[in-house]
Amino acid sequence: MTGSDERWVDEAHSRRAVLAGTIGAGLTIGAGCLTSSTDSSENATPISIALEADPTADSWDTYGYVTPYFTSVVEPLVWASESMEPNPWLATDWEAIDETTWEFTLREDVRFHNGETMTAEDVVWSFERLFERGDFVYGWLHLTPENVVAVDDHTVEFETTDPFAAFPGTIAHNMVCVQHPESTDDELGTIGTGPLQVDSVDRGTAVETTPFDDYWGDPIEESLTFEVVDDPMTRALSLESSDVDVIFNPPRGEIESMRDDSDLTVLSQQSPRTLFVPCNLYRAPTDDRTLRRALNYAVSQSELVDTVLEGVDGPARGPISPAVGWGAHDELPSYDRDRDRARQLVDDSAYDGEELLFAVDSDIVNGELIAESVAGAFSTIGVETELRVIDGASYGDFVQEGNAHLGLRTSGSNSAAADYIMFENFHSEGIRNVQLYDAEGTGLYNPGETVDELIETAYQSRDETVTDEAYRAAQVHIMDEAVCIPISYLSYTVATRAGVDGIDLHPIDKMVDWSDITRGGR
Amino acid sequence: MISTNFLAYRLATALIVLFGVSVLTFGLIYLTPGDPAETVLIQQTDQQPSQEAVDAFRAEHGLNDPIPLQYVDWVAGVFQGDIGQSYYSDRPVSEMIVQHAPATVELAVAAMVVALLIAIPTGVLSAIHRGERLDVACQLGALVGVSMPNFWLGYLLIIVFSLHLGLFPVSGSGGLENLVLPAVALGTGMAAIVTRLVRTAMLEELDRAYVDAVRSKGLGERIVIYKHALRNALIPVVTVVGLQFGFVLNGAVVIEIVFQRPGLGTLLVDAIFARDYPVVQGVVLVTAVAFVLTNLLVDLSYRYLDPRIRLGGVSA
Repeated sequence: MTGSDERWVDEAHSRRAVLAGTIGAGLTIGAGCLTSSTDSSENATPISIALEADPTADSWDTYGYVTPYFTSVVEPLVWASESMEPNPWLATDWEAIDETTWEFTLREDVRFHNGETMTAEDVVWSFERLFERGDFVYGWLHLTPENVVAVDDHTVEFETTDPFAAFPGTIAHNMVCVQHPESTDDELGTIGTGPLQVDSVDRGTAVETTPFDDYWGDPIEESLTFEVVDDPMTRALSLESSDVDVIFNPPRGEIESMRDDSDLTVLSQQSPRTLFVPCNLYRAPTDDRTLRRALNYAVSQSELVDTVLEGVDGPARGPISPAVGWGAHDELPSYDRDRDRARQLVDDSAYDGEELLFAVDSDIVNGELIAESVAGAFSTIGVETELRVIDGASYGDFVQEGNAHLGLRTSGSNSAAADYIMFENFHSEGIRNVQLYDAEGTGLYNPGETVDELIETAYQSRDETVTDEAYRAAQVHIMDEAVCIPISYLSYTVATRAGVDGIDLHPIDKMVDWSDITRGGR
Repeated sequence: MISTNFLAYRLATALIVLFGVSVLTFGLIYLTPGDPAETVLIQQTDQQPSQEAVDAFRAEHGLNDPIPLQYVDWVAGVFQGDIGQSYYSDRPVSEMIVQHAPATVELAVAAMVVALLIAIPTGVLSAIHRGERLDVACQLGALVGVSMPNFWLGYLLIIVFSLHLGLFPVSGSGGLENLVLPAVALGTGMAAIVTRLVRTAMLEELDRAYVDAVRSKGLGERIVIYKHALRNALIPVVTVVGLQFGFVLNGAVVIEIVFQRPGLGTLLVDAIFARDYPVVQGVVLVTAVAFVLTNLLVDLSYRYLDPRIRLGGVSA
């Protein structure tokens, strides 16, 4: 054997040793994974909930890198009820002193996670902290920092920058929560009042929470871990493999098979969000009411719900979900599919065969598929469209310049003040319309003075009956003018392992109540 | 030895490339429709912001300034070591990159290791069994590997190894057990490309006269192949592996989403959809720097792999 051959043999031996070591390490890792999988099935582990968005995102630094949504660590003064009305929470009561002044009375038995009692000064501090997030808060809450004042230990006065009847509903939002003044922007820095307190934060991955024993309301008995799994298919696979116990919004195409799986439970809840096709009222030929009515008569919402929407949502008749207290579903004119009538209306309209530009917001789940189905329905009555899928962040700019005849978008509320859904979409000065309204006196989806006045009446009134009636009348007018083609009232879905019970879904998904959640043996 | 002129030339071209990348990224971002103010506020409050809130956000973040002025401000910041602050979180972009980079680097390195572990033996086997069934099988395997979308392979691996065999967690990061499936999913595509390259390079080397010469000296076939032919065949492989770094980063975007790894890919995609311009700019800049440096290192490594190669006019 030559010298180089000997070296080769030595090297070969060495490589064999490395190979053997690698295989050994691989088996050890495999065994470790199996062991860890067995350990995780013990009931002592927290219940894990997979969210679509990162609960530890950088934007939540003022909440100790824990999202104020879903996690029940922090709480607002006002909550949203099941019917989307403002509901007392850390505040027991509120009163309008004059057109711009509100007085909120605080609950007296509320303790922070550090054991201290909540006072009005803590509320003032929390609002000041919220203002530090950016100037956008002024426009959102119609407040400035100096106009939040502690009257006494349990009373806070707010003076809005203008008459703002929707103020209590607007602050019924997870971000407008109360924290202790010793809260910091560090990880684990938040000191809230909620039924869960933060145990650990793994940035970009998960938040672990444990029950807070001194909670003033219904306690949560279990420790909960909120994880991010943003890919829907990975979320579904994580649930099926028991990596997590609960997931939000599995892929629509998987829901049916999940319902058939005895190891899983699927829950769904109607949300205050609607999917609809708004028509550009100021661009020919969709400026013709007759054509818009024809388009409405061409579409069968029930068929769309049963097919492309996988039976999850409800067929819509108007732009506001019945989950919103003043949603006028039952009072709206019905456009049940009637192709003959639709074709007749097309013939009577100004439509002369041109392609309508149909813009689709890419953020909508299965949006392109839905739009294709709707376009197919239009085609059956002789109206042709060109679909253009537009990135969610660009969609607003694109349609607000008046480029599209038709759009596909969703609109809904994340607080107890759903008023802005009406304002943003259908008032001439709403964010959708104001650009063209200011520039050319037109707009997009604003039918004009009548609806503007009804929305303003509802927006400014502090009489619930007046508000409800005005909003309902506005919806009737909007659908009578066929401003949009409603598609569905959206629902969200929560899937769990079969042993997980007690999840109380809320119309606003971010306000799910975990008080009674339990997990049986897996 | 590598000449100073060569290094200076390469660094100067690297700076020009980085300048070009920054101008292009900045320009493309601002040509893309979509208002960051509205997008960021929708994401934060999960509802449509009022016009007043949007106007306030734009003013606060200098979004009403002319685009060239915004670019000059950004470049001035970069030269002072400040690559900006996220619109979304107000955190320094550099901090965010430092936080997210380890997961991506870990994945990229692991994927490259997987790729090389698969590609080198397969490519060599394929070459020494040229025209035989094993060669056809290896080439077929490479074709399948390069044709398979890595997200699809990712799901397939999850279904087999997590769902049915329970060997690895479906998603997450932190431990070696979280790295295996993403690395295999990402490394497979690259392995397919490198396998074909190794095969071609090996075939070329095996046909050269020096191979016959070492055989005629009586050396064993394994030594001829692995010690002599493979070493020379690896030179083009190093080039391609270096260039594949870009491919790995590109693939990491998808793989990080499928396996829920909080890396630069996820950060970049989220920032693009959120129109968080400073984060997009920062991540692209850092990625471009990494890419340029990798290519420089690849060039420099030639000198060590093959002393006959001259860099910058200096003979070996």
